[in-house]
Amino acid sequence: MTTKEPAYHLNDIRHYYGDTKVLEIDTLKIEESSITGLIGPNGSGKTTLLKLLAFAVKPTRGIILYKGRPEVPFSPAIRSKVTLLTQKPYLLKRTVFENVAYGLKIRKDKNRLEERVKNALLTVGLDFQKFAPRKWHELSGGEAQRVAMAARLILKPEVLLLDEPIASVDTESAGLIRDASLKARENWGATLVIASHDLQWLYSISDRQLSIFNGNIFSTGMENIITGPFEQGDDKIVVKKLDDGQIITLTAPEKKTGIAVIRKKSISIDLEKQADQSFLNQLSGQIASMLLEKKTGHIMATIYIHDLSFVLRLTPGQISSLDLYPGKKVILKFQSTDVEWI
Amino acid sequence: MDFIVAGVAKAIALLTSGDAATWTAVFATLKVSTCSMLLSVGAGLPCGFVLGYFDFKGKKHIRTILDTLLALPTVFIGLAVYAFISRQGPLGDLGLLFTLTGIAIGQTILAFPIVTAITAATIENIDHDLKLTLVSLGAGKRHIIATCLWEVRYGILAAAVMAYGRVLTEVGISMMVGGNIKYHTRTITTAIALETNKGLFADGIALGLVLITIAFIVNLSLSFLRKQ
Repeated sequence: MTTKEPAYHLNDIRHYYGDTKVLEIDTLKIEESSITGLIGPNGSGKTTLLKLLAFAVKPTRGIILYKGRPEVPFSPAIRSKVTLLTQKPYLLKRTVFENVAYGLKIRKDKNRLEERVKNALLTVGLDFQKFAPRKWHELSGGEAQRVAMAARLILKPEVLLLDEPIASVDTESAGLIRDASLKARENWGATLVIASHDLQWLYSISDRQLSIFNGNIFSTGMENIITGPFEQGDDKIVVKKLDDGQIITLTAPEKKTGIAVIRKKSISIDLEKQADQSFLNQLSGQIASMLLEKKTGHIMATIYIHDLSFVLRLTPGQISSLDLYPGKKVILKFQSTDVEWI
Repeated sequence: MDFIVAGVAKAIALLTSGDAATWTAVFATLKVSTCSMLLSVGAGLPCGFVLGYFDFKGKKHIRTILDTLLALPTVFIGLAVYAFISRQGPLGDLGLLFTLTGIAIGQTILAFPIVTAITAATIENIDHDLKLTLVSLGAGKRHIIATCLWEVRYGILAAAVMAYGRVLTEVGISMMVGGNIKYHTRTITTAIALETNKGLFADGIALGLVLITIAFIVNLSLSFLRKQ
């Protein structure tokens, strides 16, 4: 029996801008017809990763397999299959019709062009009669984003990469972009990778979330990042002192690196501190938000420990037994050894 | 002050009556300026594109040389062209001295760095997202180049207009290479210089008005094209 190749398989990828390493991925697979959410702060490497996946840029090192075959930028085999919608979409200095039809025209595919442009615009909620003759500068930010989306959807790409597609659009446009993305998967089995800061929106659309920090990918979704400075404690221990007096104690890194990762699975939540100190770290905080992970029914809870933000993936059972809700005060517990240094 | 008013009145009369000397200079100017503008765009556009689009060794030095050429005095170009096409010069046998072709060659040399430099700067300033957008829409290298050029069409038009304005108003090359021969190589600018020297302000003002009108029409056309 042959197993189906994933849409993407990234192997030992390293990417540099000058001397600065911006991406370090040992291995990453993205399944066909999946919707992957990409989460991470500004400058974490999301856009670079999307550019690599779009084959717009060649990684400094490593191989990207597309459906099992190594591919490079400008390969004719890949050019018509993968498309990227950039964060600040560039519209050609032409009419909306010309913008949407551009990709088909360069493929010399002019069959039922008007009808296809009409359908693509309709998918993103734009009326053909009203918008098709408009010039690029006669559109609002949200409309421009939706025209750019239509220009990609009309190509029926195998892969649709969206970089912050709702960063500068209104709620209605965000909903339309979400629906159009889901339709792309339903109608022709498109694989989607979407980077967004809007976690609620992202969780409502994606089946899987990857988080990226300092160019490192966490395939388990959002993880908890603690940045320095750390103070050297006793006996291979480092501590981070929070301004509210709480202390986080962690096993010191082997190398001198300054970013600690505490996996969600290593952290437990409670309502009171334990007296026996079996957990070295027992931190008081408050639930800031709770998001439903649509596919699994789990709840992603964000908890503020003073100025640090922690994320936990909780079961509906935990939510009801501890009676958790945004604003509730909770205790997070984890061992000092439950740390990975990046 | 009176002589200026009288000059303007006579200028209008000269132009409307179809004065042969005036109109010959106008046509000679249009012919030679259009020719040199087209030649400089033809040569400068691809050179400017290569300079703006690609990164290669020595690019900075070429830009420096180009920027220097932008400030080249017209009399120096006139002198250099004169030296080449005069009877003792290497191209003397071609008989280009005191011809409109000779002036056009000099003016092309004057306009070429302008077109090249502005095209290169326009291409360099192309939004970085344009190329990424084109790649992501499936464009190959040929389509990327063609679309990039089309996207900066107004910048390139501006380069052509600026080059036209420069050659239209230059006097050094036309005077030295053309010789200011009446009904033959006399252009508007050389005629103005001559008439002013003779104290014939009206003729000078008439030709000046024509120059301004041509410049106005060219810019009006550019503005119209932008709106399209």
